[in-house]
Amino acid sequence: MTHQRSVPALAADGLGKRYGHLWGLRDCTFAIPAGSVVGLVGPNGAGKTTLLALTVGLLAPTEGEMSVFGSPSRANTADTLARVSYLAQDHPLYRGFTVADMFRFGRSLNPSWDSGLAEARMATLGIPLRRKVKALSGGQQAQVALTLALAKRAPVLALDEPVASLDPLARLDFMRDVLAASAETGLTVIIASHVIAELERLCDWLLVLAGGRLQLAGAVDDLLARHAVLTVPRRIPNSDVPGSTIDRTDSERHSTLLVAADPDLVAAAASQPGWLAEPAGFEQLVLAYLRRPPVTLAAAHRAGTAGTAVAS
Amino acid sequence: MIWVTWRQHRAQAIAMLAAFAVVASYALAVGFWMRSQFNADGLGTCLARSGGADCGAMITSFFSEVNRGATLPLDALLFVIPGFLGAVVGAPLLGSELERGTWQLAWSQTVPRGRWLAAKLGLVTAALVVFGAALTAIMTWAWTPLDEVRIRLQPPPFNFEGISLPSALLCAFGLALLAGLLLRNTIAAMVVGYVAWEVPFVLGTLLTGPLQFMTTTMRIPCTGVVCLTASTNSSPPVTGHLGDFVTGVTRSGNELIVSYVPADRFWPMQFVVGGMYLAIAAAAIGTAVWLLHRRTT
Repeated sequence: MTHQRSVPALAADGLGKRYGHLWGLRDCTFAIPAGSVVGLVGPNGAGKTTLLALTVGLLAPTEGEMSVFGSPSRANTADTLARVSYLAQDHPLYRGFTVADMFRFGRSLNPSWDSGLAEARMATLGIPLRRKVKALSGGQQAQVALTLALAKRAPVLALDEPVASLDPLARLDFMRDVLAASAETGLTVIIASHVIAELERLCDWLLVLAGGRLQLAGAVDDLLARHAVLTVPRRIPNSDVPGSTIDRTDSERHSTLLVAADPDLVAAAASQPGWLAEPAGFEQLVLAYLRRPPVTLAAAHRAGTAGTAVAS
Repeated sequence: MIWVTWRQHRAQAIAMLAAFAVVASYALAVGFWMRSQFNADGLGTCLARSGGADCGAMITSFFSEVNRGATLPLDALLFVIPGFLGAVVGAPLLGSELERGTWQLAWSQTVPRGRWLAAKLGLVTAALVVFGAALTAIMTWAWTPLDEVRIRLQPPPFNFEGISLPSALLCAFGLALLAGLLLRNTIAAMVVGYVAWEVPFVLGTLLTGPLQFMTTTMRIPCTGVVCLTASTNSSPPVTGHLGDFVTGVTRSGNELIVSYVPADRFWPMQFVVGGMYLAIAAAAIGTAVWLLHRRTT
């Protein structure tokens, strides 16, 4: 893929989607560089699938805009659909089709279809082309669905809970193949998942959604550098701690805070007696933002925590 | 898209071809048998000679032979075939995609869903029309001798001659297609589509039966015994023209007042009833296309 590095692969600008009276997603703004592997995290109903559907072009936004490599997404247009491959939850396939039929389906509906890639992957995985989809194991079905998405040769791959139904071994195989594809071709991948530990190994970019609002967005290294875990005496209020407190756990004598703050300020504060600063872990960071009641991005800006949310 | 449509509807197409083969071979057998009866009885020569006026007894005996023969099962079958087949083909087209989640696969490929649906609808409706027309052609041929003496203005002949059969097929198809989109379940959509199709079908049957809407009146001077025995069931009809559908006969002095539907109203009636089916099909398919487009907003 020869896209300019400066143009974000995925960019949302005030993106929102309303279903009837309820907003499924709102105020979503981010810009993700090409070649990233993006983890999309959030509880059920947080808007993850909505965000993916807006990216793919299955849905049209109610407000704002989603851009893929600088071109705005228009739902149900060949241009938009061609730019993003989508692997929906539970990797749907036509059960009565053979694997070869599924590939012919892909070839018929995608001008950029890569037959060589599809067949080579099946050969490597030992999945016979003549076998019917319903006769394959869950892991094999997921691999066929992934192959269908990869052989479309779109520059962006969107995966919705791709490994939720797979056993641990199949999960590893599947994710290894996704990472390999990303590394080989510069594919930008966005993965919605509940399995935070899994994402930690895979992702270099993170989007945290809760209640249809973006809670956190940024490059993982950047986010980890801007957050810290502080252990302080229990009597210290949040207002005396640098930056803003995302999550606080009180024990009998000490409190543990996850803060979003300048690393220098954290280091200075940690020199006080009874204070201890540690780097934040990926899982800790995600959980802290998931636990926090959903806030609007605008409010987060005011609180100074969202400096990382528009990291472009 | 042509291959995709073929692959997804292959099983249905094969089943319909098989059904066509069965019905067609049965109709061929009936057709040849009926022709031999028609000629053996001398009915053909009688009709050619007198235009039907003197052939009453022969017509009655031909009817009883034909009805004793095996035409009834097929007539009965034809009451359900269009609704059943239309529903079976229409329900899964969207219903199965939504039920199994494969719509996310189908509509996220490079072909937008509008074109996907247009291609599918075009090919499948064309196949249904060809199937319905072929069935109509073979049935019409087989029943030709009977059609010379019977009333084609009412079911069963009305339902499988002219444009009725393909129109009714499309009507059931459209209703089941829409039901599939709304219910997101194939089996439920088949049932709902079939039941919904019964509404226009029953209306069509009533319009061509008890609710005849194209009747006209004729006054016939009469004398003697003809005057006394004339009834709606007279054979040949009191109008003197085979194929007329007599709905009422009353005596007024030395005149018979006959209300009837002339045989040549067959095509106008076909267009009214077939048009009703097609209008419903178009409305249902149009609604489905519109809803599918709207689902993204």
